[in-house]
Order: sequence, then C-alpha cells, then structure tokens
Amino acid sequence: MMPAVIVPAPDALPLPAPVFLLQILLHLTFLLHLVAMNAMLGGLILTFYARLKGGDPSAPWTKLADTLSKVTPSLVAATVTLGVAPLLFLQTIYGQFFFTSSILMGWGWFSVVVVLIFAYYGTYLQSFKGRALGGSRTPLLGVTLLLFLWIGFMFSNNTSLMLNVKEWAAMYFASPKGLHLNLGDAQLAPRYMHMVLGSVAVAGLMLAWWGRARVRAADPSGEFMVTVGMNAFTWLTLVNILIGLWYYVAQPAHVRKLFMGGDITATALFGVGFVLGIVMVVAGFRGSKHGSRIELWPLTMLTLIQLVTMIMMRDTVRNGTLGADFRPATFEVQPQVLNLVIFAVMLVGGLVLLFWMLRQFYVAWNR
Amino acid sequence: MNYPVWELPMGGGVLIAVVSILHVFVSHFAIGGGLWLVVTEMRANRNRDLDLRAFVKRHSRFFLLLTLVFGAISGVGIWTTIGLVSPHGTSALIHGYVWGWAMEWVFFFIEIAAAIVYYYGWDKLNTNVHEAIGWIYFGAAFISLVIINGIITFMLTPGGWLENQNFWTGFFNPTYRPSLVIRTFAGTAIAGMFTLLTAANLARGNFRGRVTRWNAGWAFFSMLGVIGGAFWYKSAIGVWDANEALLGAIPVLPVVAGYFKIGLIITTALAVIPLLVPKLWNKGLVAVLLIVGLMTMGAGEWLREAGRKPFVINGYMYSTGMLVSDTARVEDAGMAASARWISPEAATSEVRLGHDLYLAYCQVCHTMDGYNGLRPFLAQWDEETVASLVPLTGHMRALMPPWYGTEEENAALTAYLMTEKPPEPGLWPADPVAAEQLAWDISCGLCHTVSGFRPLIDSFAGQSPEEIDGFLDESGDIVDEMPAYFGTAEQRAALVRFLHKMNPPEGAGDQAAARPGGNEGRDS
Ligand code: HEC
Ligand code: HEC
Ligand code: HEM
Repeated sequence: MMPAVIVPAPDALPLPAPVFLLQILLHLTFLLHLVAMNAMLGGLILTFYARLKGGDPSAPWTKLADTLSKVTPSLVAATVTLGVAPLLFLQTIYGQFFFTSSILMGWGWFSVVVVLIFAYYGTYLQSFKGRALGGSRTPLLGVTLLLFLWIGFMFSNNTSLMLNVKEWAAMYFASPKGLHLNLGDAQLAPRYMHMVLGSVAVAGLMLAWWGRARVRAADPSGEFMVTVGMNAFTWLTLVNILIGLWYYVAQPAHVRKLFMGGDITATALFGVGFVLGIVMVVAGFRGSKHGSRIELWPLTMLTLIQLVTMIMMRDTVRNGTLGADFRPATFEVQPQVLNLVIFAVMLVGGLVLLFWMLRQFYVAWNR
Repeated sequence: MNYPVWELPMGGGVLIAVVSILHVFVSHFAIGGGLWLVVTEMRANRNRDLDLRAFVKRHSRFFLLLTLVFGAISGVGIWTTIGLVSPHGTSALIHGYVWGWAMEWVFFFIEIAAAIVYYYGWDKLNTNVHEAIGWIYFGAAFISLVIINGIITFMLTPGGWLENQNFWTGFFNPTYRPSLVIRTFAGTAIAGMFTLLTAANLARGNFRGRVTRWNAGWAFFSMLGVIGGAFWYKSAIGVWDANEALLGAIPVLPVVAGYFKIGLIITTALAVIPLLVPKLWNKGLVAVLLIVGLMTMGAGEWLREAGRKPFVINGYMYSTGMLVSDTARVEDAGMAASARWISPEAATSEVRLGHDLYLAYCQVCHTMDGYNGLRPFLAQWDEETVASLVPLTGHMRALMPPWYGTEEENAALTAYLMTEKPPEPGLWPADPVAAEQLAWDISCGLCHTVSGFRPLIDSFAGQSPEEIDGFLDESGDIVDEMPAYFGTAEQRAALVRFLHKMNPPEGAGDQAAARPGGNEGRDS
C-alpha cells in the first residue's frame, strides 16, 4: 500500500510579520551565517591541509596553520551567533517542514549540539594549548575538523529532508526512532559538497585579504598567505562549477524546468550564477599572477554577488520543490509593528556597539 | 498530533531535563559571573590590587571557556531539543514571540562579542575601555535574561494572554517579576560558587583568604535574594492553589519541592563557611557546593516544568499539541482523525492503530520501561482492566490531557498496550506491606491519594474488611469516571487490607478532608 503524503498544518497562531519580511530577514541573516561559516569551516580545512604539509616550526605552512588556529574559536562563535537568527526565521516560516524533518532525523539532529560542544572545545585546544599538544596536535585537529564536517552534513541532510516531503510518511511509519537521514536523496551529495568546497574557496579569498594586509604592514609572511588563498579560491571555484551543475541535474524534473525557462527569475539566476562562476575563475587565475599586489575588491564583489545568487537559487529550489505544500499566501498575518520597531532599534544600537567594541580592539591590537 | 513523534527510549522529558538543567546553571553563571568580573576588576583597579586583578584575569579564561562554549551551545541545544520533543509548543512560542527571540538574539551577539573582546583585551585595552566592555557584557547578558524570562514565565502563567493573545500581556505575566528576581540572584550566587572554585586552586595564604571571603559574600547574600524571590514567586503565582493540588496529586512532586527547599537551605548554609572562616574552605567543599547548587536549581526548574502539567502553554496547549480551544472538535472527530501521523496500515490493523495513537497521545510523557514507565503497571493488569482504564486516563490524578477515544480507538489502544505487557505474569511481592502498596498503586492509587488529591482516607472509616470488599463489587457504579474493580483475587485481598489499614486514627482525617478537592476543573 502506498503510504500517504503527510504535511503538518502551519501553526495556529498568526505570523507577527508579513512573510516577505521574514523571508528577507532569513536570507540576510543566512548570508551572514554563510560568510562566517565559510571563514570558519574553510579556514579549518586550510589549517588542516597546512598542518599536513607543515614541517619544522619555522616552515611557512606551519606558521600559516599557527596563525589560523588562533582565530578559529572566535570564528566558531561568529558562525553560531549568526546561525541562530536564520534558524529562528526558518522555523517561523517553514516550521511545518523543518520540525518534521528534524524529528525524523532525531538523533542525527540532536547530535549537532553535542558534537558542536566538543568541536568548539577542539578549536580552543588548538589555540590555547597549541604546540604543547606535541604529536597529537594534527590528529586532534583532524578529529575536530571531522566533527565540524559532520555538523555541516547534518545541516545539509535536514535542509534537504525538509523538502523531501513525499518520503516522510514512509520513513516515519517504518521507524519513529529518529534514525533517518536523507541519504536516498540524489541532491544531498552535490548540495553538501557544493557547500564545503565553496567554504574553502571563500576562506581562501579571505586569507588573501589577510595576507595582503600583512604585506602592506611589511610582514613578508603575507606573501605566502596570498598565494595559498588565491590557489584555494580559484581551483575550488572551478571544481565547484561542475558540482553546481551536478546539483542542478540532481533536482527533480519540475524544479529543473524552472531554471530552464519555466520561471524567468529562476532562469536568470541560473544564468548569472553560471557566468559569474566562470568570471570568478578567470579573474582568479589572472589576478594570481600579480602576487600580493592583486586587486581583491572586484573578486570580492563578484563573490558576494555570487553568494547572494546562490541563496536566492536555494530559495527557488526550496519553494519550487515544496510547490503546493507550501502556501504562504494562506498564512494568517497579524503584524506586531511596535515590536518590529523595537527590534530594529535594538539591532541598530547593537551594531553600533559591536562596531565600537571591535574598533577599540583593533586599535589596541595594532598598538 | 500535528507532528510526528520521536520515540525515545528514555523519554523526551528526560532529554530536555538533562540539557536544560545543565544549560540553566551555566547560563545563569554567564549573567552573574559577568557582573562579578567587572565589579571585581574595578575593585582591583581602584585599590591597585594586582593580585586580585590577576585573579580576575585568570578566572575570565575559565569563564570564557565555560559560558561561551558550553553555555551558548547548550542554549541552542535546549531549543533544538524542545523542537524535537515538543515541536508544536516550540512553534507556538516562535510564532507568538518572533520579535522577542529576535531581540534576544541582538543581545546574544553583543554578549558573545563583548566576552571575546574582554578576554582577548586584557592588558591590551586601556583600563577604562576594558571595564566598559565588561559592563557592556553584563548589560547585554542581563537584558537577554529580561527578555527570555518573559517568554519562559509566559508558558506557565500566560495570564491575560489567553484572552487577548497580546505579546506584552503574555510577557509581563503574573510571575514575570518574582522570577526575574530569583534568576538574577541565582546568577550572582552561581558566580560566587564558581569563583570560589577558582579561588580554591590558589596557594594557601592571605590572598586566598581575602578572595574566598569576597566570593563567598556573593554566594551567600545572593542566596538570601533567591530565597526572598522564591517566597514572592510563591505568593504571586495565582495558580498556586491549583499547583498545591498538583503537588498532592503526583507523589513525587512534594518530594522534589522538598529537595528544592532543603537545597536552598544547604546552599546558603554552605556559603556561610567561607564567609566566616575562609581557612576551612577547600576543593572538596566547593565541589559539594556546586553539586548541591546544581541539584537545587534542577529541582526548581523541574517544579516549574511540572507545574504546567498537562500543558506546554498553560491553558492554551496540551503537551500532546492539542489546543484547548480545539478539544470540542477533537471530541467530535475522534482521536485518530485528529492526528495526522496515523499509518495507512492502521486501517486494517488494530494494534497498529493503537500504536500510532499511543505515539501521538501518550509518548510525550510516557516510556515503557523508563521515565513514567507503563510496563510495570501492564505487568499486573489483564486485558479487561486495561480496557476499562484506557478511556479514563484523562481523569486519573496524574493530570493527563483529556482522552476522547471512540470505542474502536479505545479497543485499539488497549490492544496495543497488551502487546507491551511482558509475557510472564508480573511478580507479586512476597512482603505483605509491599503487596498492599502495589495493589493500591495499580488500582485506586491511579486516581486517588490517601490524603491529598481526591482523598480516600475517610471513605472507609469504621468499615470492616468485608464491607470494603463489598464496595469493590460496586465501585464501577458510582461515577462514570471510576471503573469497576478487576484485580485478581490476590490483588484484591491485598487492596482490602490496604484500605482497611488506611483508616485514620481519631481526628486525623479533618485536615485531609479540608484539602482542595482537586483539579477536575482543568479537565473540562
Ligand atoms: C501530559 C503528560 C501525559 C500524557 C500526554 C499522558 N500521560 Fe499518562 N501519566 C502521566 C504522568 C505524569 C503519570 C504518573 C503520575 C505519577 O504517578 O506520578 C501518568 C500515569 C499514567 C498511568 C498510570 C500508571 C503510572 O505510570 O502512574 C497510565 C496507565 C497512563 N498514564 C496512561 C496514559 C495513556 C494511555 C496516555 C495516552 C492516551 C497517557 N497516559 C498520556 C502523564 C501523561
Ligand atoms: C480511573 C480513576 C479512578 C479509579 C481507578 C478509582 N476511582 Fe474512585 N473515584 C474516581 C472519581 C473521578 C470519583 C468522583 C469523586 C471526585 O470527583 O472527587 C471517585 C469517587 C470515589 C469514591 C466516593 C467519593 C469519595 O470521595 O468518597 C470512593 C469511595 C472511591 N472513589 C473509592 C475508590 C476505590 C476504593 C478505588 C480502588 C478500587 C477507586 N476509587 C478507584 C476515580 C477513580
Ligand atoms: C558551527 C558549526 C556549523 C556549521 C559547520 C554549519 C554549516 C552549515 C551548512 C553547511 C549549511 C548549509 C546546509 C545546506 O543547506 O546544505 C548551514 C545552514 C544553516 N545553518 Fe549552519 N552550521 C553551523 C552551526 C550552526 C548553528 C549553531 C546554527 C543555529 C543555531 C546554524 C543555523 C543554520 C541554518 C538556520 C541554516 C539553514 C538556512 C537555510 O536553509 O535557509 N548553523 N549551516
């Protein structure tokens, strides 16, 4: 017997803001999370690579790894902090899907929390204990990295399982023990790889910025950072174009159609994304020739636009896949205008405060 | 009902309890400890006390590692866990309070950033700026408490929100202020406890004595604040009468309440030692203090959670996700039709239907063998007993959500529960007293207590065992909510002895009879 397709009803309480506003907040905060996560995860992968290449303490790879290890814990903090907001908005808009997929994944989803605590401490271990760890330093770093990769994998599972509505009932009726993942879904592998490789590329670009700042401050170790960063950026972006195509091919037919003329915006996004990818690679190769005198602004702008494009494509995929199961137009909305204003004021004040603190910090460290 | 249910061997409630008790302890430390850091740093700076300054710096690393990593992530962890165990409740909280959470998030990121800048800024930032960052940290942490406290207390005492569903009515609910007082002082008390830990690692001497006393002052005087707050809370919680009945209805709760009270006293008393005689203070005592403190906090949180039974949001939504406003519709439609996740197989298999109903309506609160385990009861019951009890679960003293099963659904739930009955008959205790207690627990004790909720202490006064035995024959005819007695001959004999012995000595029954009659009002 074919099991039914079951989708929970949306929450009975009205939404406190129009859906489009919540969507914008979701995308905006997710972009921030993505950038932080890329710096952290991509940075960690680069650190691990550098440790493997490493050598004696004065070798450039070792120095690079040491430098990166110092900042990882704070990048984890940024990733987590910036992840909370999109999680909130995701649950607000897509709760009926997201809670369901989380429950089906049960233990896997819960594991994120436990694993994250260990992984986070792992980064502090590298930063605070460092050389004192001796021969276990690199293996421990490897374990820490695996833990973070696991977390990312759970996120990819959950964000794709929440779309895989037609499999839910069969999964749940087979077992309610919370041991499912979305491994049967053809788009899981490319989706996850796209994210992870992208994170290394973006982290590479950031590394190039950092290296260039060092060179300008007359620190020669910056030269190496630029080279490593630009190599990571360019080559991985090249590979990622292919993975992106694989991701596209793995979509269900009706979603693919959207990107092939079925929907103007979707098609435009697809085209822009593809062309931007190629431009990024070409610009990356050409820029790399200039060493630390490379122009980073154009590349960075391209990358940012690409990230935004990707987020919008994700959204298209999400809403396209859910189709008639997700009808935001039917959600009851009762805007809490006053609370929105209070939040906005607090946010602006908070950002000012944040900026002030970071500025003080920056000035003090460069004294 | 609306969402699938995660079948956890130990029960979702236990998972939530573990995550949240640990988180709550550390997150309160994150608030009070922030105040301790900046106040103590200022004191050190003003008095040019370099030792004290070094101590604050040293403690701040511990603080960073504990609160930033464990504290922050376990907080995300509670959210994750309640989303898994109680998705409908989480969803409601998020829908009603998106902007509350969003505001909370603003202060969360300020707090995290300030903690990092504070720690890495030691000896780099100039003193004034460093102190200012410390205040920013504490301010942000405290405001995040001010916000989250509104949402947490809302769940237990939503007050006028039930009528107007207004954000601020629910936020500033009847227990908002006392709860804020308790939590603020709990934070500074825990700060005192953890800094006593750091101090216990110092070399013995004058300085250690001085810091120990300072930290003990934080712990001790804050505990007085907690106790004061607890009294205020008790008087402010308008539903406390109902809670008193709840405490009487579920025997384990008065025990937990007792632990809470004793814990408060022990914690306060322990903190006196380092305050008066810092020399006597050592690592062993710190460990005891921290453990007692953690358990006390755990007991308090547990009471607050249990006080909501059988609701997630008091008076609005049951633990199973059923809305109070929806009960009439559910009663009409039946339980299966009101739950989404009933497998197609249930159309043909009675046991499967029962299993799916169990998951949808019972699993949130019950396990088979662990927390609130049902199997030990099933072991003693036959099918007839289970069949007679299933329709009455909503009327038991445990304050379960109403159950509106149709005849078919009752039969299905019974059939499923019978499959969970262990194959060998339950062991009947050889000890007569244990046997009498068990005979009570598995029958009358499901709905009555001796002298608390729906008391029976007076009902059989002066009756002979034969008369009591006679009552058991007709107990099914008295009220609809009370089933006929189905025990085995052995169980029945033990129960009659129990009821007979229960007779109060002269005069002792008055007090019991004066107790509130129970929570029947909540069922309707
Ligand atoms: C709101 C949570 C909750 C729900 C939902 C719930 N129960 Fe209970 N139930 C309890 C608690 C708590 C107790 C035990 C109270 C005590 O003795 O301390 C209990 C007790 C019982 C008992 C008596 C045996 C015992 O463990 O004390 C039975 C039988 C029972 N429940 C069956 C059910 C069935 C069947 C369902 C589903 C239709 C159900 N319950 C739903 C909370 C719940
Ligand atoms: C499923 C729940 C349930 C069980 C099991 C149950 N009762 Fe009751 N009983 C009730 C309810 C409900 C009332 C109505 C009184 C009330 O509303 O407080 C009641 C009333 C009574 C009364 C009369 C009112 C009074 O307070 O004197 C007696 C006597 C009594 N029960 C004895 C027993 C005995 C003895 C047993 C065990 C054999 C038993 N009950 C088992 C639910 C139950
Ligand atoms: C620190 C370890 C973390 C890593 C490595 C990580 C990684 C990722 C990855 C790979 C994705 C994309 C998944 C996909 O769609 O394929 C993602 C999405 C997301 N992450 Fe994180 N994440 C981390 C922590 C967090 C935390 C702690 C939160 C929230 C508290 C969070 C919130 C989110 C949300 C809400 C999304 C999905 C946004 C959307 O689909 O619109 N992340 N994360």
